[in-house]
Formats: sequence, C-alpha cells, structure tokens
Amino acid sequence: MSVRVRNLAVDYSVSDGTAHALRDISFDIPEGEMLGLVGESGSGKSTVAFALMGLLANNATVTSGSAEIHGRTYDLTRPGATTALRGRGMAMIFQDPMLSLNPVFTVGRHLLEVLRRRHPETDRKSRLAMAEDALAKVKLGDPKRRMSQYPHELSGGMRQRVVIAMALLAEPTLLIADEPTTALDVTVESQIMRQIIGLRDRIGCAVLLITHSLGVVTSYCDRIAVLYAGERLENGTVGAVQAHPGHPYTRMLLDCEVPLERERLPLTTDNRFTVIAGDLPDPRQRPPGCIFNGRCDVSFEDCARIVPADYPVDDSRGHSARCLRLRSPL
Amino acid sequence: MTAAISVDNAFVRFGDTAALNGVSLEVPQGGCFGIVGESGSGKTTLMRAVLGLQKLEKGEIRIAGRVLGTDRGGLKQRASIIQPIFQDPAASLSPRCRIGMLMDEVGTVLGEAREETRGRLNGLLRRLGIDPGVVDKYPHEVSGGQARRVAIARALLMRPSIIVADEPTAGLDVSVQGDLLNLLQDLRQAENITLVVISHNLAVVRLIAEDAIVMRQGVVVEGGEAGALFSAPGEPYTQELLASWPHISVRQ
Repeated sequence: MSVRVRNLAVDYSVSDGTAHALRDISFDIPEGEMLGLVGESGSGKSTVAFALMGLLANNATVTSGSAEIHGRTYDLTRPGATTALRGRGMAMIFQDPMLSLNPVFTVGRHLLEVLRRRHPETDRKSRLAMAEDALAKVKLGDPKRRMSQYPHELSGGMRQRVVIAMALLAEPTLLIADEPTTALDVTVESQIMRQIIGLRDRIGCAVLLITHSLGVVTSYCDRIAVLYAGERLENGTVGAVQAHPGHPYTRMLLDCEVPLERERLPLTTDNRFTVIAGDLPDPRQRPPGCIFNGRCDVSFEDCARIVPADYPVDDSRGHSARCLRLRSPL
Repeated sequence: MTAAISVDNAFVRFGDTAALNGVSLEVPQGGCFGIVGESGSGKTTLMRAVLGLQKLEKGEIRIAGRVLGTDRGGLKQRASIIQPIFQDPAASLSPRCRIGMLMDEVGTVLGEAREETRGRLNGLLRRLGIDPGVVDKYPHEVSGGQARRVAIARALLMRPSIIVADEPTAGLDVSVQGDLLNLLQDLRQAENITLVVISHNLAVVRLIAEDAIVMRQGVVVEGGEAGALFSAPGEPYTQELLASWPHISVRQ
C-alpha cells in the first residue's frame, strides 16, 4: 500500500512575520520503494519529515495537508494526528543516532521497548531472541554482548545500525530517514544505505530518504523529489530525472555534483566547479511567478508572472516538473 | 626546490592508539596537495602537527625547509608561513568578538597599523564576495558559507605561503561548496600559495589536487599523482574508498 502526502503546507511564525516553509507539497511513495527528497539547506526538507511525524517546533503550524498511510487518511493540520502511528506505522532515523537513543539505556532495552509496543503479545524470552536477531540482521557483530552495551560504547556507524534495528523491529509502513549517513564516512555510508535497503525489502515498507546529496539519491533511491524554497519543483523516477531533468534547478543541481571520473586538467581555470548563482528567496514573502525565477538561466517574461503547475516531462509516467517551458502549447 | 612541507617518519600516540604511525610525505611548493582518509585515519592529527599544535613523539616536520619549534617564538614564525582553515569555522572565530576585532589581531601579530590591516582586509573581503560590513557582525550572525569565507580571509590576511584546509566544504550545499573551491583555487594561483586540502570528498580532491595521499589508521596507504591514484588505485583500501563513493554517472 503506497504512502501518499497531499498539499502539505507549513508556516513558522518568526519574530518579524510568518515564514512559509512548505507550500503545497504532494508526493507518493509506492510500497517497497525509496523516495529521495533532495534540497539545499533551507528548502524545507526536514520540515516535511517533522510534519509527518508530528514533531514540529512550537512556532510551526501545518496550514494544510493530509497523509494516507496504510489505507487510512490522517489530517496533518490536527495536532498529534499521527501520534498513534509513531513506532508502529511510522519510524524515523535521524542524522544523529543519539537523538533516538537514550544514553542511560542499554542497546537491548531500546530494542525491547520497541517490541513491547509492537508485539505486546510476546513474552520476554522471545523478545530477547527477536532483538538479538535484529542486531544480527543489521550486521552488528556479537549481538549478545551488544545488547548489554550503552550507546556511548559504540561508534557512530554502530549506533546508526542500532537505530535501524529498532526500525526493523517496529515494522513500519513508512520509514523516514533524515540525512542518516551525513555524519558518517563513505565506506560506512554505503554499508548503512545497504542496511536501509535491506530493511525496506525485508518488511516492504515505503522509505522517505531526506538528503542533500544527489549522489546518495541516484545510487540508492527509486524515485526523487526535488525541493526548493518550500516547493516541490520536480518529481519522477531517478533514471528519468537524471536522464532528462525537467526543471532547470534540477539540471543545475546535477551539474554541481562532481563525478568521481572527472579528471583534472592542466589549467586550473579548466577545473572549475559549477555553482548556482544567487540566493534563496525570502520565505516570508514569496516572489510572484516561478519560485526559481531569480536564479534561473533560461527564464523568460512569463516566469515572473505565472506560477507554474506540474507539467509532464517527456510523457514519461510520473515524471513532472514545475517549469513553464514544459507547458504544452494549446 | 625545497618542499613546502616535509614530514619525516612522524609518530603520535594517544594512549594505545597510534594516530600517526610513521608518516612521511613531501608537499611540493606552489601546488595543491590532497590528503584523503576517513575518521580516525590521522589526517587531522597530521594537520595539527604541521601547524605546531601537536607535538611529535618521534620524527621531524620541516616547513619551507626549516624545523620550527612549538614554543611561542616558533609558533609565531610558523604562523607567518602557514595558516589553517579549520573544518568548523567557529574554531577560528571567537563567538564573543566581532569579526573586525579578530582581524585586527592579525595586524597586531604582524606589527601592522590598524588602517593598513583594515585596508588589506577590505580588498580580501571584496574578492571573497563578502560585504565589508561583516566586520561589525558576530560570528553567529553570518551563514555557514560566509563564516568559512571569513575564516579564509583571516588566514589570507596573515600573508601565508602555505594554507592547510581541513574539510573546507564539509556541511555545505553543493553549489556553495563549488563556489568556495573555485575561490580557493583562484587565490592559490594569484598569490602563489601552496594549498593542502584534507578531505573525505574524493571527487573534489581528484579535481583540484596535483598530488594526493590516502591515509588509514595513522599510516599513508598510498600516494602519488592524483589522477593516477584515482584512476588506477593500487591498494585494496583505496579501491574500497572509491567503490563506496555514491556515484553520479556522467550524463551525455
């Protein structure tokens, strides 16, 4: 059963007005697939995760939006709409695993707590066996000893594995991973991403991966949604978007990535890095027309007046972008 | 030509762990040198040793051909040749000082009149694309990308011949990262500065460094001309690093 999010909008009240952090965000994640939500700092990608989990800060208001998870629709504008889902229907992996781990609890206690909530019918002995089994599944060596260790005794990568084991035991319909590998080394990152994919395949959940790294998305995700200044500019399968980015912003983001194959040329001036000139628009006052207009390299007059809708790209199913250049001539 | 930095058989131990376990390397003058490795590989300890912030248990480090002490005089001498850009710009910007005040301290060290320092600073800030009004701000009032530029300006203000940058772009968005790296390359060329970049970003090191080394657990695993090192790695660890790198394939 796929996860659907519709028309999500979030405002933050700040000292000098209201910042519209998210505007009209919709996306689908089919069961067993991983959607990569990419965007630069300030694009609102973490706000999406927090709005879904009901973990927004006090100065935030969900002004519209609903989520369909496991066949039920939740009105996200209601405070605590998804509270009942936490730890059952939804689980989250944070960038810093210590946010999910209690420093005074052992690894085992964390895992058993998840199981008490998820499988109240089981006895302690079978829960212990399930917990040790989960640690083995995320390739944490010597599970028996790990059970009695405290989070501070583990490395960053090991802690993240414990959190993934907790998610594995929670068997969620939707797993949200917010920059799960940003603080980790590349070799550990690839191991952790493989564990997340393993978890997805084992329990068939939908995964929302929030990251600023296009490399991670193109390496591990099925679909991609590109967020910019609180709006979703493009949406599609990773292959389609990478082959034919529909939005100039997506194309520019892809161009900014340095491929490992790129060789250094003798002249330093030939080894330039691509940049996107300009700054994010003021979140308190959305400029008219296309949100990316100010930084776009192919904009035309209409871009400053008309807010683009989602237009299909290349007629490929599910690939759309908000760029007026894609408007089919009527 | 004497090497900008030459490290000979350096040993540093923290308890039972060898942070540097017999490291030797030569950084040629005027180029860009890359140091690649994961957490715990000893790359930051190596940087600290080169800067004189970490005493060696054994071995020798020569900066521009000279062995410099770690006493006050030695550090001052070192500071006029070699300047760091730390990973966390906050590490080089005191939270309680306005940025201008930090910059004036450079003038004090150089024994330069305040007006002269400020004049050079304005020129540098303009080249780095920062509004000179930043001097009246506190470090927390500027964005991450700006704070790094301020740290670069502070380093350049000392007129060093060598700059050591520890993860200069970690935590920055790709487009900001590119902007900063372009800037570092321009400055290095214009001022004929030797740039040492410590990074876990293999693609970046491959593109900007002429020579590079790969470190692991306090040892130099492999080193050489960067292009050859990345296109035909000899050591299994280098191969693993390259294979783990999240790949964006080149589009036609």
